[in-house]
Amino acid sequence: MTFALITFQTLLVLAAAPAVIGMIRKMKARFQNRQGASIFLPYWSLLSLFKKEMTVTRHSSWVFRVVPFVVFGSALFLAIAIPSFAAGILSASLSNIFLVGAVAALGSVFLVFGGMDTASTFGNMGSSREMTIASMIEPALYVSLASLAAFASFWSLDGIVLYFASVPMYTTLPAALSLIALVFVLLAENARYPVDNPATHLELTMVHEAMVLEYSGPYLALLEYASWIKLTAMLALVANLVFPWGILVAPFAGFAFVVALAAFVIKLALGAFVIAYIESTIVKMRFYRMQEYTSLALIIALGGLAVVLFTFAI
Amino acid sequence: MTESLFMLSFVFPGIAAFVALISRKGDIGNIASQSLFALGGLCGILGAALFYASGEAGIAVLDVPLFGLVVGRLSVFFFAIISVGVLLTSLYAIEGLRPYKNAYSLHWLAVASAFFIVGMQGVVLASSVVGFLIAWELMSVAAYFLVIADRSDDSLQAGLFYFVMTHIGFASLVAGFLVLSGGNAFANWQQVALTASALSPAVLAAAFALLFVGFGSKAGLVPLHQWLPMAHPQAPSHASALLSGVMLKVAIFGFIQSLFLFPAIPASWGAVVLVVGLSSAFFGVLHAVVESDIKRVLAWSSIENMGLIFSGIGAAMILRTLPFEAGPALASAIAIFIALHIVNHFLFKSGLFMAAGAIVSSVHSRDMDVMGGLAQKWPLFSGIFLALALSAAALPPFGTFFGEWMYLQSVALALVGLPLPYSVGAGLVLAIIAGVSGLAIFAFVKMFSSVFLGRARDESAEHVRPLPSLVLLSPGITAFALALSGVLAFPFFSARFILNESVFQHVAIVEGASINSWIVWGLVAGLFGLAFLFSRAIGARIRITDTWDCGQPLTPRMQYTATGFSAPIRFFFRSFLVSRKEMLVVPISPENPWIARRSLDWIVTSAWERFLYRPITSGILYLAGYARKLQSGVIQLYLLLVVLTLVAAFIFAL
Amino acid sequence: MLRLLTQIIRTGKKTEKAPSIDPIEVVGENLRKTIHTLYGGRSLRIRHVDAGSTNGEEYEMTALGNAYYDVERFGLSFVASPRHADILTVSGPVTRNMEHALKTAYEMTPEPRIVIAVGDGAIDGGIWKGSYAVVGGVKDVIPVDAEIPGDPPSPVDVLKEFLRILEGARK
Repeated sequence: MTFALITFQTLLVLAAAPAVIGMIRKMKARFQNRQGASIFLPYWSLLSLFKKEMTVTRHSSWVFRVVPFVVFGSALFLAIAIPSFAAGILSASLSNIFLVGAVAALGSVFLVFGGMDTASTFGNMGSSREMTIASMIEPALYVSLASLAAFASFWSLDGIVLYFASVPMYTTLPAALSLIALVFVLLAENARYPVDNPATHLELTMVHEAMVLEYSGPYLALLEYASWIKLTAMLALVANLVFPWGILVAPFAGFAFVVALAAFVIKLALGAFVIAYIESTIVKMRFYRMQEYTSLALIIALGGLAVVLFTFAI
Repeated sequence: MTESLFMLSFVFPGIAAFVALISRKGDIGNIASQSLFALGGLCGILGAALFYASGEAGIAVLDVPLFGLVVGRLSVFFFAIISVGVLLTSLYAIEGLRPYKNAYSLHWLAVASAFFIVGMQGVVLASSVVGFLIAWELMSVAAYFLVIADRSDDSLQAGLFYFVMTHIGFASLVAGFLVLSGGNAFANWQQVALTASALSPAVLAAAFALLFVGFGSKAGLVPLHQWLPMAHPQAPSHASALLSGVMLKVAIFGFIQSLFLFPAIPASWGAVVLVVGLSSAFFGVLHAVVESDIKRVLAWSSIENMGLIFSGIGAAMILRTLPFEAGPALASAIAIFIALHIVNHFLFKSGLFMAAGAIVSSVHSRDMDVMGGLAQKWPLFSGIFLALALSAAALPPFGTFFGEWMYLQSVALALVGLPLPYSVGAGLVLAIIAGVSGLAIFAFVKMFSSVFLGRARDESAEHVRPLPSLVLLSPGITAFALALSGVLAFPFFSARFILNESVFQHVAIVEGASINSWIVWGLVAGLFGLAFLFSRAIGARIRITDTWDCGQPLTPRMQYTATGFSAPIRFFFRSFLVSRKEMLVVPISPENPWIARRSLDWIVTSAWERFLYRPITSGILYLAGYARKLQSGVIQLYLLLVVLTLVAAFIFAL
Repeated sequence: MLRLLTQIIRTGKKTEKAPSIDPIEVVGENLRKTIHTLYGGRSLRIRHVDAGSTNGEEYEMTALGNAYYDVERFGLSFVASPRHADILTVSGPVTRNMEHALKTAYEMTPEPRIVIAVGDGAIDGGIWKGSYAVVGGVKDVIPVDAEIPGDPPSPVDVLKEFLRILEGARK
């Protein structure tokens, strides 16, 4: 039963990921007073990419060809280990906060290798920047997750979500700052505004897009799909903590299943709206001001930790 | 049997040195002496294995008056590390030293190595203060000769720096041990502990400070770290591997062992060790990120890892004294991290130094800015290096990650397990460790990508020959061991998480749900299989083209170098990194000032060097200027000085 | 931020209706095959190459992304690398300096791919035909699947032609 649920949850995230991106794009288009593409367009983009051949630079080595698989594997792990649809089904060690953080970092590292193994300055520049952001956001990531975990007394994401779902919502108020820090981390990890511009065509402003410039066809599909899955899984995590309703918990009854499915869709739509709203109303930060962003994230995370610890004391 | 194996591991290095001296120049001598070193290492490993298998608490290997060698559970752990290190580096040196036949005098190098190895082995097995100090000095001086092996100006300068720093440390060690043992240099450890129990807290604190300075200077802790990145990289690569991978562990051994000599350890000492450890980790990793000399990056990373281990020791020292239930439990969890990280750091650091040596001997430069594209030329070797680099970055699935996971988890558990002031401290420690581990990932990603990926940035890395397979052996073994420890560590740790053992009493588990970690590995393997099939299926449709260049042909020099890659970090942390940039513009054409030869002189120093080392050095030189005035060459003045000294000595004695 | 939002809401959707078109009757074999392979061209990525135009075509094509024309609603999007592209749109007469760049961009675009020449210059050299600095039209350098005439074609023209080509190829 557990195994079936985990599989279902993973497949759900995999299936929803392109639609989430489609929703964000659609909403951004509407913010720009455009009609925008169908939210199902990303599915067709992926399928089309799989039909294409690949052109690979002669200056790349085996690392370049391993990268898409490792990045996709890392994203797949996030889809498995992040409780997005149901809570209380994952083992504590598998969705441990530090393990999840490290596997996400592994994905970023290989993406960086992909950008560096092209002999192209664009890829190199994206890699250098991505690595900077990924390594500078690490303290904020671990501190915010650890304070959420300390708050819930569970060290797995699964347990944290389960805890948030099982207590009245107002009691989770002390964790609000940590959640804000987590949103900062989410935006940085997923190359969204104000860290990166996912829609840019100017190589000099790219971070994530610059690293995948040399990929084509199925490899590109894997990389893009991986980034979508990562965004969807992390969005679902934050949404489940902010709106801890409707998540499937034991006993896994038939009606609750339908409710959870509806809640999953609504939460992701809400998350997509928030991201679209952020991206339509603020500007991208200059890269060389990124340390301000990461320090701000860390300070908020530490503040959140302090609030949590003081809540324990009283 | 066990004793004689331990003795043999002492004897073989001596024979190796003798053989090397007899055979003088030539390949045969090197092969023979390195094989003998390896044999000695093998004996040490077998001895350690037999010792652990026997389950004894300790046996005397050698017991002569005033000098004894005793193996105990702690010392055999470190002895085994030394032995494995000697075995691997000697196997590497058989082929790895061949290109340097003329650069080093190999027979004297073998003699220095022999003294170095015996010194390290002596340190961990010595049963008395004097034996320990003699072995320590033997190790330190032999290391000096390893550092200056190529007799270049850089090496001599680094060697001098090292020599001064190590003797500051040695003096401090001698003083510390003598204070503890009440002036009796021939006391064995039990006697020292007995004497120490009668000393006043202030004296004990002074002794602890002296010992911490002594061991800390050898382990490269801030602020006594500046010599390490200069000295370690100058040695031949197999010796660098021993210096960074093994000798630093000997310093940790000395520190841990001397902690047992104290009757009680106050939490404030632990706080000092923790703070020094964390700042070493931070400065070490920061310099590892901005440095572009491949061996220096590794040396700076050693400082980082020593800092992490010492911070763990400090945290455990604090936790052990706390009157809360979680304290001792967390201290023992951190002890697991310390042990794991000692082994893992030894493995990846010696592997990386040997691998770096192989690269340097092919590219003929230690500058990562000229390398690149080696993954295409050496696919297998680059795979080994990638495994080692990912281990060094503490990323899954390698063993290092699981050690650091343990550490992070224990510190995070302190958030809920301890009351307020301590839990806030734990939060700060967590943030710093997370920051350090993030930057460590940066440093090793930079290293791997600038050395192996893209195109060769310079002619020298363009035309490299295939590496001899013997050179691949030792780094390959370390990479394999790290991967193996990662594979085995996950089941181990996940079982601990699920079983709700006392160490992880606060790691609540989720009821009714568990995935066997073996299933996870099975899934990972299955995914790899699928990925392989997938790449096979699309393999036929790959078309090789040039790199996309926007129409403007690319040159290798347009790529990011290691220096360029780390530029953002250099910018963000510019207040910690004192860098000096000078652009030299020499006009060539008198009519047009824009046509000029430009060269960039640019160095990164550290705040420590500028604000601590420079003032002290110039202060000493300033005082030495006054002392020089005594050197007038007038014999009467010297006689007067002798008389004055004698009088002063008599007065002091009375 | 709120004022911006209210203005966005007050402005509403500004995208104009899709232009009515009559599809091209005869399309090339490569074009038909490509569109059929890529699921009827539901999602096509365009890489634009300026092979030496006056930038007139670029101005007009930039307008395709704005709220009025909104080319994205037809599943067409501009990408930053030829390796990501399904369609290469080329503008301007191919100058000698850009000949190599155009060839590499074409080489790096993975199959199946379409090349569309945008503007009179791209079709046969336009008013620069025969100049010593110009190689000729795009078809003299790389195979061209479709042409969009005009000097420069207006955004509506380009949009209409795109749709005609796609409709024609889908049949």
